[in-house]
Order: sequence, then C-alpha cells, then structure tokens
Amino acid sequence: MKGNGTKLAFTIGFLAIALFYLQYSFRYWLEMNHIESLSGEAQEQYIDNNREKIEMLKSNTINLGLDLQGGMHVTLELQTESLLRGLAGESADTTFNNAVSRAKERYLQNDVDFIETFVEEFQSGNEQARLSRYFRNDADNITRRSTNEEIAAWLKGQRGEAVTRAMEIVRTRVDRYGVNEPSIVKQGENRIIAELAGISNEERVRNLLKGTARLEFHLGADPEELRDALERIIAYYDEEVSVEGDTTQTSRQNKLLEVFSPQGQSIVAGAAAGQDTAAVNNLIKIEAIQDLLPRGIELMWTASPSFTGNDGQEYYNLIGVREQVELTGDVIEEARPNFDQYTNAPEVSMSMNSEGARRWARITGSNINKPIAIVLDGYVYTYPNVITKINDGRSSITGLESLQEAEDLVNILLSGALPAPLEIVEERTVGPTLGEASISSGLNSVSFGLGIVAIFMIFYYQKSGAIADIALLMNIVFIFGVLAAFKATLTLPGLAGIVLTIGMAVDANVLIFDRIREELVAGKSQLAAIESGFSNALSAILDANITTFLTGAILYSFGVGPIKGFAVTLMAGIVCSLFSALVITRLVVDYSTRERGSKLSIG
Amino acid sequence: MRIFETADYNIIQNRKIAYVISGILIALSIGVIVTKGLQYGIDFRGGTEIVISFDQAPSVGDVRAQLTEPLGGVPEVKLFGNETDLLIRTDAPGNINNLQEIITNSVKELYPDYETTIIKTDVVGPRFAEDLKEGALYAIITSIIVIFIYILIRFRKWTFSAGAVAALLHDITITLGIFTLLSNLMPFNMTIDQNIIAAFLTIVGYSLNDTVVVFDRIRENSLIYKTMDREKMVNKSINNTLSRTVVTSGTTLFVVVVLFILGGEVLRGLSFALIIGVVIGTYSSIFVASSIATDLENALENKSA
Repeated sequence: MKGNGTKLAFTIGFLAIALFYLQYSFRYWLEMNHIESLSGEAQEQYIDNNREKIEMLKSNTINLGLDLQGGMHVTLELQTESLLRGLAGESADTTFNNAVSRAKERYLQNDVDFIETFVEEFQSGNEQARLSRYFRNDADNITRRSTNEEIAAWLKGQRGEAVTRAMEIVRTRVDRYGVNEPSIVKQGENRIIAELAGISNEERVRNLLKGTARLEFHLGADPEELRDALERIIAYYDEEVSVEGDTTQTSRQNKLLEVFSPQGQSIVAGAAAGQDTAAVNNLIKIEAIQDLLPRGIELMWTASPSFTGNDGQEYYNLIGVREQVELTGDVIEEARPNFDQYTNAPEVSMSMNSEGARRWARITGSNINKPIAIVLDGYVYTYPNVITKINDGRSSITGLESLQEAEDLVNILLSGALPAPLEIVEERTVGPTLGEASISSGLNSVSFGLGIVAIFMIFYYQKSGAIADIALLMNIVFIFGVLAAFKATLTLPGLAGIVLTIGMAVDANVLIFDRIREELVAGKSQLAAIESGFSNALSAILDANITTFLTGAILYSFGVGPIKGFAVTLMAGIVCSLFSALVITRLVVDYSTRERGSKLSIG
Repeated sequence: MRIFETADYNIIQNRKIAYVISGILIALSIGVIVTKGLQYGIDFRGGTEIVISFDQAPSVGDVRAQLTEPLGGVPEVKLFGNETDLLIRTDAPGNINNLQEIITNSVKELYPDYETTIIKTDVVGPRFAEDLKEGALYAIITSIIVIFIYILIRFRKWTFSAGAVAALLHDITITLGIFTLLSNLMPFNMTIDQNIIAAFLTIVGYSLNDTVVVFDRIRENSLIYKTMDREKMVNKSINNTLSRTVVTSGTTLFVVVVLFILGGEVLRGLSFALIIGVVIGTYSSIFVASSIATDLENALENKSA
C-alpha cells in the first residue's frame, strides 16, 4: 500500500545503519575474547599481527565512560591568586596581598570571577587606588597610565593564556606517563578537565597533574642569624601558666616546642614529625613570627623525611633559605633519572644551557663551603654544601623516595613549568572492578527491564503487544546504534536512561492501542479504527515526547560527566521510540491487517 | 486484558479531596525539609569520599572509631552495597594523596590481615560543590520555565501551563520530602547528589508526559463536546486517558524497580527517587494538574463575567 513503501525503506535503512555501527563493537568484543583466550606469547604475537585491525575496531566501538571502564576524571583549577602574585612580582605590597586574600575568600564562597573580585577588593578602601603600580607589560601596552579596567582585561587575557599553556603542559605530562587516549578540555575560565582511563597509580597521576615544577636554587640563611631568630620565635610562644591547684607555682609551656624540636645547626632550623608539620606551619606562618625572621629569609620544609625519631616517626627538617631566587628551572636543558654512584639512591641529574651554566658557575664559585638549597614547588629536596665551583652546568636533585619519583620529576621538569599551580577541585576515580560490576548490573537491568515490559505488553495487548515488542527491540538497537554512530559515551547513568526509556518507549504504543480500542468500541470498522487511532494519538505522543526531550536537553546542558550520559541516552531513546512507534508499529499493524487481512488482536 | 476501559470516576468533582491530600503531603514535606534539612551528598557538600573493598566483612563502628583521631573528626562510614565494601566520607582538609594514605594506613592497622582495595574515590572542592549546586538549581528552574512556555505555546492557555507547573512543583516537593524523611533510615546512600537531580528532572519530564496527554484530550474533547459543562468535560478526558496513564506508569514503574534491584549501589539512590517520583507524578497528573487548570479557568470566567 501507498506510504508503507517509504516507511519500510526508512526502517530497513535505519536498521542497517544502526547494525553497521554496532558491528564494530561486536567484532571488538569478539577480538577481545579471542585475545583473552590466548596464552602469554601467542597473545602478544596476535596483537602485533592484528594491531591495525584492533585499533580500527577500538576507535569505532561504543565509548564506555570512566565509571564503566575505570579511570580518573579530574578537574584542575588554575590558582589565579598565584598568577596575580607572579605577575606583580616584587612590586606586590601589603595592600595588594590583602586584596588577593580577600578576593580568594569571596571566590571560594560565591559564584564570582576572581579577577573582578580582586579589582573590587583592591578599590574597596580607596577608589583612586591604581593597579598600574603593580603590573607592567610593554608588549601589551600595560603602562603606568593604564586604567584599572584595562589592567583587569589584560589580567583576564593572561589568565586565559595561562590556562591554555597549562593544558598543553598537562597533555604533555599525561602523554609521557602513557595514558591511552586522554581527554583534556578547558572548562569555564580557569578550569581544566582531564579524563584518564585505566590508571593504576592514582597518587602518581595526581602529583603529575598538579606539580608546578617551579625549580629554584636558593642560598642558605646565615646560620647565626637563623639561630638568633629561632630563639626569639621560641620565646614568643613561651608562656608561664599556673600549676593547677597551686596558685603559687608556675610552670613553663610552649605551644611551638610541643610539636617542633629546634636544632639551629647550619641552615636547619629544626624538625617536626610528618603529622605535626601542618601544626608548625600554623604557628610560624603568622605575621608576628615572620617579622622575627631575619630580612629576606624564609623557612621551608624538606620534601622527604630527614630522619626517624626515637618514637619511630619520620621527621622533616625546617630549612632557612634566602627568599631571593638565584636560578630557576628555565635554564634546565636536559634531565634524566639516575642513581647516585656511591649511595645508589635515585636522583635526577640535570644539565643547564650555557647562560644557566655561566650563572651556576658564578653562584657556586662565590659560595664555596656554604649550602645551596634546591627547591621544587616550595619544598627543599637537597641543600648540599658547595665544594668547588661548578663550570659545566651540572646539578642534581637527590632526596627522592624512588626511581619512579625521579622519572615523574623528569617528566614534570621537561614538560615545562606551569604558569601557576593547578589544584584538584574535583576528582572521580572508579576502579576497574567497580566498573566491571557496573557494566554487568547495568546490562542486567536493561535486559530484565526489557523482558518484563515485553511480557506485560503481550499480556495486555496480545498480538498487538507483540508488535509493540518488536518496535521496542528495534528501539534498543537504534539507541545503541545512535550512541555508536555519534561516538557518544555510555555511562552508568546512561544505562539507567536506557532502562527508563524502555519503560517509557511503550508509552507511544499504549497511546495508539488504547485509542484504537476506543475507536473500535465507538463502532468504527477495524481499518478506520486503526487509521483514526494513529492519527488521533499523534498530537498527544508528540507533545508528551517533546516535553520530556526538553528536560533531557536541559539536563544535558547543566549536567556534568556521567549525568550528561544519562541525558544523552534519554534524548536518543525518545527520538528512537518515536520512530519505532510511529513507523515500525504502524508498518507491522498495517501489514498484518491489510495485506494478510487478519483481525487485529488488541486484547 | 483491559483496565479502566469504561472508567467514569468523579475525579474533578471531588478535587477538593485531592487538594487536601496534596496540601497535607506538601506541608509535611516542607516540614521535614525544614526541620531535618536537605541531606546533601558529596557533590553539593564537598569533601572526600572513598570506597574501600575488603576481602572479608569489616566492622563499620570499628573503622569509624579508628579513623576519627587521624582524620581529626568523626568520618561518615557506611556499607556500600554489600558487607565487604565500606564508604568513608570526610571533610578533613588536605590533599587527596595524604588523606588516602591516612585512611588506608589506619585501616591496615586495624585489620592487618585483610586485603583492601580502593574501588572508588570522589573528591569535590568547596567552590566546585557550590558550582554544582548552582547548576542543579538552574537546571530545575530552567526546565520549569521552558515547560511553562512550551505548554503555553501548544495549548494557548496559561491556565494549563500553571496547572502543569503546579503539578511539577508538587511532585518535586513531595519527592524531596519523602527522600529527606527516609534518608537516614534506608540501608543505602540517599543523599542528594547529581544523580538525584537527574532523577528529579526525569520525574519532571515524566510527570509532564502524563499531564500533557490528559491536556491533549481535554483540548480534543473541548472541540467535540462544545456544550458540555467544563468540569464534566475535563473529568471525561481524565477518565478517557486513565487506562493509558495507568499502563504507562505501570511499565515505567516495572523498569525503575528493576533498576533499583539490579542497578547496583551507584544507582540505588537515583532509582529510588524515580520510584517515588513515578508514583507521585502519576497521582498529580490524574488528580492535581487538570484540577488546578479547571479552577483557574473557572476563576477567569467568573472574573470576566
């Protein structure tokens, strides 16, 4: 009959396309099963011989989300305050730093732009205050005369560039680490999303992503001055308290000494157990204490434990170094992991470019028998005494825990320093076992849901129900076909969306069949009832599906990660179920009633 | 089989009863939400959540006690799906590597012979949680506005839009109320996170689906039975579509129950919210949406008359 030819062509066409896209996934699955069945050597051999084919199948197979295949989803945020401080450099003063800190506080609590908030805070005390005091850039025409607005716009531009650069660096690091098909994208103004599948050591990856790799060479503090300052600091926390129950006696108490053992040897101010370093920081990072330190001296912790105390805890040294940076990691030309030839401890040996080597020679030459601290991201790795002038630009980072750490450090050093530190503001990691369990529970839900709905439809609508079931089954094929064709990612909530679609997909059929029943009851002939059943149900079907589709679209635009997958399958499900109900059901109903002249069995 | 084929219930006529029931449910829900507060999950609250899988069942209480000191506060510890998996949630600050180390070391100290693996880690920073919360709120508000506009365009009556949106707010409030009420009583994670927001939006779409089918019938019947009293005509439309409403709700309920049972721990909260939502949504499409639209129409007529 007329019209049905087109319907049939569409149905067969879509089915063919869906199956075409799905066959990749099916063949990939077969290949994987085959590979798993082979033993060690044969397996490698087989993979080598068929690499191209496997890669091709893999790239066309349905993408599984990280929650199904296991992996890390990490959102990194560029620390804008460090960027601002870095750009302002030495001109930063208390006014500037206070404005940055207040902006940070507000930024953490509200949905505000960091730079705009900073400018607001900066001007809050004094409308006339000018940012041009802090920022200068000849190339971008940022001068003494630049207005605050111009500088704010320039800062935003700098932030954008910093994020782009950070993305490149993160990509390089991840590639060097060897992650399969990582996805690294920018989110909003200052965030980067990295999706990394099949990670076995999350801890390493976190350090790799965050490491700013700001390598600095500092001169040590003057030991005598440091010792004096240390005494003053301890005295600051000295307090006399009356002994409980006896008002005449007092005893000495010192909050600092409870967590910190002072040393005052060379440039080592003292040491604290690993778990106490945060407490010590809280006590010494306050302004009153910083004022007690010699000018231009700061305190930094060692990166790895310096010794094990009598209590069995590992202790970290607090080192006094000069604030001034003598040399930075920019001059490093080559770096490689290595073992110390005497102690066999892992280290990173570095060589500098000619400019760096020249300065390194000057620094070492004028500081013989004095310590130089090699600092990475604010932690002191080594502080050896200079024995002789070093002319060839060689240096090394020791005090590493493992060769792996040395390798990661080399990776970070060579892929370049981040323009500002990145902080992990969100992380979702799913282990491979949970992923596998999720796949099977998701697929079980799909098949059981499908089964129970299919049985119900036959029970309730008899043969017509069976027709709806055919449409439903094709619907599932279409949904997976759409996911494969558009390279959408299937997540666990996505599988839930498919399950839900199964329940809702029969809705269109229910609307049609109920309408046909009504028309039959009203006394119409079978053919007329089918005709008006379909046409009268159409507007309800469309309205109902469009509204659900709209909520799916909204969910997609606001959702993050796996939830987006839910929205995708929900939307795909709605479109496919519309097609299968309006076209496939109609086709089969028409075929069975007109061509074969049989009576419509609709329960 | 046929159900409700010749349904002829006085639904609109008795809408006051539905109003009272819904009114009470909404009042109770708001009461629960206000007194107990919304139970936010990690997405909206921030913090660190780690799921550790043991090879034999650990004691929830012992692990909690063991972790309290090193984490500097009592962490949330509960079973995750089965007896050997534990979910540990903490607000302790510090970087993830340290927290993870503290947790695994403490657990190792408590159970030196157990094999443990971390199967899931979720970390959400405070500002990020704020952003997610805002996104969720915008999503729900946007969807309600879009739906109002869509129905206005399709049915050309703001009273229908108002009826539909009132029914949606009704569904969301009551589902949220039940969810909050039960959140600590169920043996699975029932805090409000992104999955639950997805469930809410699905409930919005689903409930609307039912409502729109009824509205569609009202529009059709209003053209056929031009002289019929409005209340009667609306009531007839609801009855006409009753069998379809119940069948579709039934099949949807089947699948969400399947999802609840088989979908695994990760989807437990989502599928539970869907179960509540499908039931409440079906109720509101039959008893609330059209009733409100009818009352608004009546009020309009009285005003202009």
